[in-house]
Amino acid sequence: MIVTILDVVIAGLLMGGIYALVAVGLSLQYGVARVLNVAHGEFIMLGAFITWSLYTMAGINPLVSLIICGPTVFIIGFVLYRAVFTRLRTSSASPAAFEGNSMLACFGLLFIIQNVAILIWGADIKGYTFLAFPVNFWGAVFAANRLVTLVFALVIGAVFYLFLARTRLGKGIRAAAQDPGTAGLVGVNINQVLALCFGFGALMAGLGGTLISMSYKIQPTMGLEYTIIALIVIVLGGLGSIPGSFIGGFILGLVGSIVTYIEPGLALVAYYVIFILLLLARPTGILGK
Amino acid sequence: MLEVSNIDTFYGKIQALWGVSLKIDEAEIVALVGANGAGKTTLLNTISGLLHPVSGTVEFLDKRIDGLKSHAIVELGISHIPQGRKLFPDMSVRENLEMGAYAKRVWKHRQETLDKVYEIFPILKERQGQLARTLSGGEQQMVAMGRGLMSRPRLCIIDEPSSGLAPLLVDEIFRIIQGLRDQGIGIFLIEQNVQQTLEIADRAYVLENGRVTLAGESKKLLQEELIRKAYLGL
Repeated sequence: MIVTILDVVIAGLLMGGIYALVAVGLSLQYGVARVLNVAHGEFIMLGAFITWSLYTMAGINPLVSLIICGPTVFIIGFVLYRAVFTRLRTSSASPAAFEGNSMLACFGLLFIIQNVAILIWGADIKGYTFLAFPVNFWGAVFAANRLVTLVFALVIGAVFYLFLARTRLGKGIRAAAQDPGTAGLVGVNINQVLALCFGFGALMAGLGGTLISMSYKIQPTMGLEYTIIALIVIVLGGLGSIPGSFIGGFILGLVGSIVTYIEPGLALVAYYVIFILLLLARPTGILGK
Repeated sequence: MLEVSNIDTFYGKIQALWGVSLKIDEAEIVALVGANGAGKTTLLNTISGLLHPVSGTVEFLDKRIDGLKSHAIVELGISHIPQGRKLFPDMSVRENLEMGAYAKRVWKHRQETLDKVYEIFPILKERQGQLARTLSGGEQQMVAMGRGLMSRPRLCIIDEPSSGLAPLLVDEIFRIIQGLRDQGIGIFLIEQNVQQTLEIADRAYVLENGRVTLAGESKKLLQEELIRKAYLGL
C-alpha cells in the first residue's frame, strides 16, 4: 500500500515537471506577448517529432536534440510573431481586439502545423526507447528517462527564472509584461521584446516536446491536450509566475496520477473539474494577487 | 536643442495638434500650459515617439526624430516622465530605477547613476527593496523622476509631476526640477499648477484646442491679462 502511494506521488511529480515547463512557455506568450496561443501544443509536438526523427534516422541522442530543437522552435516562434502578430497588433484597434484576433490566428496555426506534421510524419503513433532502464525510489520503480525529464524541466525553469530576474533583457520582459507603453518610454524595444517572448514560449514548448518524446508515445494530434493542460496550470499558478507554474504543474501532475490510478479515463475530466472550481474560488491563481 | 516645427498629430481619427511649433534649449525650463483636452499629452507623446505627426518635423540635436520609436528616442537623450507616474508595480524601487537605465548608452553606468539619483532622493535609497505598488504618492513621483534621470537625459519631459501631492512635496519637486536645470538639463514641464510653474519656468507656451496661442517669457506671461483670467483665476 505504501509503495502504491509512493508510486502515485512520484508519477505525479515526474509528470508535473513537464506540465510546468509547457505552462511557463504559454504563460510567457499570453502574459507578456498577449497571444493566447492555442497552437502551443503544436510546438510541443514539433519538438517531439524533430527529436524522434533525429534519433531514429540519425541516431542523435535526444538530450543533444534539446540543443537542436530549442533554437529551431525558438526561431519559428520569433519569425511568426514578427511576420503575423506584430502586424496584427498594430492593426488591431485595442489590446482586447488584438487578443481576440491573435487567438483566431493561432487556431489557424494549429491546423497548419498539425497538417504539415501529418504530411511529413504520417498520422501514426510513434515512439522510441531511450534511457528506459528502471530506477528504484524506495521501492517505487520508474524508467530513468522520466527522472531525466523532471530534472531538465526543473533546470530549464530555474535558468529562465534567473534570466528574468537578473539580466537586462529579462528585466525588460518583466517591465513589458507590467506596462508595455511605459516600458517603451524607458527604452525597451517593445516589438522586439514581445517577439522574443513568443519565441521563448515556443522554445519551452519545443524543449518540453523533446523531453516528452523520451518517455511517451507521440502523434501529430497530441498537441491540444498539452495546450489545455498548460492553460489549466496557468490558472492554477497565476499568469506570469514561474514558481506558480511549477506549483500548478505539480498539483495537476499529482491529481492526474491519482485519478489515473483509480480510473485512467478520467484524468482530463478531473483537470477540468479543478479548473472550474479554481476559477470560481480563486480566479487569480494560487500565488496570484 | 529640441525644435518642433509646424506639426499636425492625430489621436485616432481626431486631429489633436494643429501646426504646433516650439523650441527648448539646454539649461532652461519651458512650461506648457493649457486646459484639459488642449492636446498637451498628445504633444509630449509626439516628441517622445509614442505618436507620430502626419506633417511637420521634430528635431533633436539637429537630427530628425519624428519617425523614430520611443526606445530609439530615449537612446538619443530625451526622457519622458509620464503623467500618473506609471511605475512598474511589481518591481522594487531599485528595479524601477534600473529600468530607467535600460538604454544601451547608459546601462553599463547604472550603478553610478543610481548613486547620483539616491543623492537627489535619499528616501528612495531607504525604500530600495520595497515594491513600487506599496509606496505613497509622493514617493512614487520621486521614483518616476529618478527613473527618468537614470537615462542621463539632456532633455527631460515632465508631465504633471505635482498632481495629487501635498503642497510641501510640490515645493520639493519644483526645487528638484530647478536643480536639474542648473545642471544643464533642458526641462519641458507640463503642469496644472500654473502660477507656481510660471514662477520657476524661463519660458512658456499656452496650448488651446491643439494650437499654440501664446508664447514668451514666463515672467511676462504671468502679467498677461488672458493668463491671469483663464488659468490663475485672478
